[in-house]
Amino acid sequence: MGKQMTEMLKGTLEGIVLATLATQPAYGYEITARLRDEGFADIAEGTVYALLIRIEQRGLVDVEKVPSEKGPPRKVYSLNAVGAEYLDEFWKSWNFLTERIERLHNHTGNTNNEGE
Amino acid sequence: MAAKWIETLTGSLEQKKQYKQYKARIEALPEPYRGSAKAFERYFMYYGGVTDGDTLVTMVSDFADLWERASVDGTPVRSIVGDDPVGFAEDFARAYDGKQWIDKERKRLTDAIDQATDQQA
Repeated sequence: MGKQMTEMLKGTLEGIVLATLATQPAYGYEITARLRDEGFADIAEGTVYALLIRIEQRGLVDVEKVPSEKGPPRKVYSLNAVGAEYLDEFWKSWNFLTERIERLHNHTGNTNNEGE
Repeated sequence: MAAKWIETLTGSLEQKKQYKQYKARIEALPEPYRGSAKAFERYFMYYGGVTDGDTLVTMVSDFADLWERASVDGTPVRSIVGDDPVGFAEDFARAYDGKQWIDKERKRLTDAIDQATDQQA
């Protein structure tokens, strides 16, 4: 993954993870797998894990320890009311940004074309 | 720095016990998970500014959870830590920066600028 892509993802991954949790609670590996299915191919499991810990500490998700056949129990994360509000804010910011950036892209794109 | 990291644990016996448990969990991991976990542990000693025992114990036990899970699932080390192990380590440690020593300085800076702003108002 390119450096620029990594940096951009860093700012949005939180919202992306909350969005996947909004559809269904999941544990760390499931979330990574879902993201990979969605085309975020190079996301490391540890990155998602660290992010889950962060959003847990900030009270955006509820955590339940579910026993697994092998190994330690899995922590299953689900979006709570605070997280849902945060996710709503994320989408608003996202829509604002995409609209502005797209407009900027069109403007600068047109300027470039005039020069040709 | 390493000494200080350990000293923070001498605060309570319970924390000491939990830290020992964490060390045992890491030792019990099969390779290459044990070696990887220890490499991160070393880096945390230099990077991590966590100074209170509670936060530290929570952090290391979460860290042990991650590696135990990975070894049971047989997840390759690379797909756990990604292309940038340093970035992963620092992201991980930052999740616990709620009570870092830098907080005092952050507050001092914020207050100083608030004061400056008030003077100008």
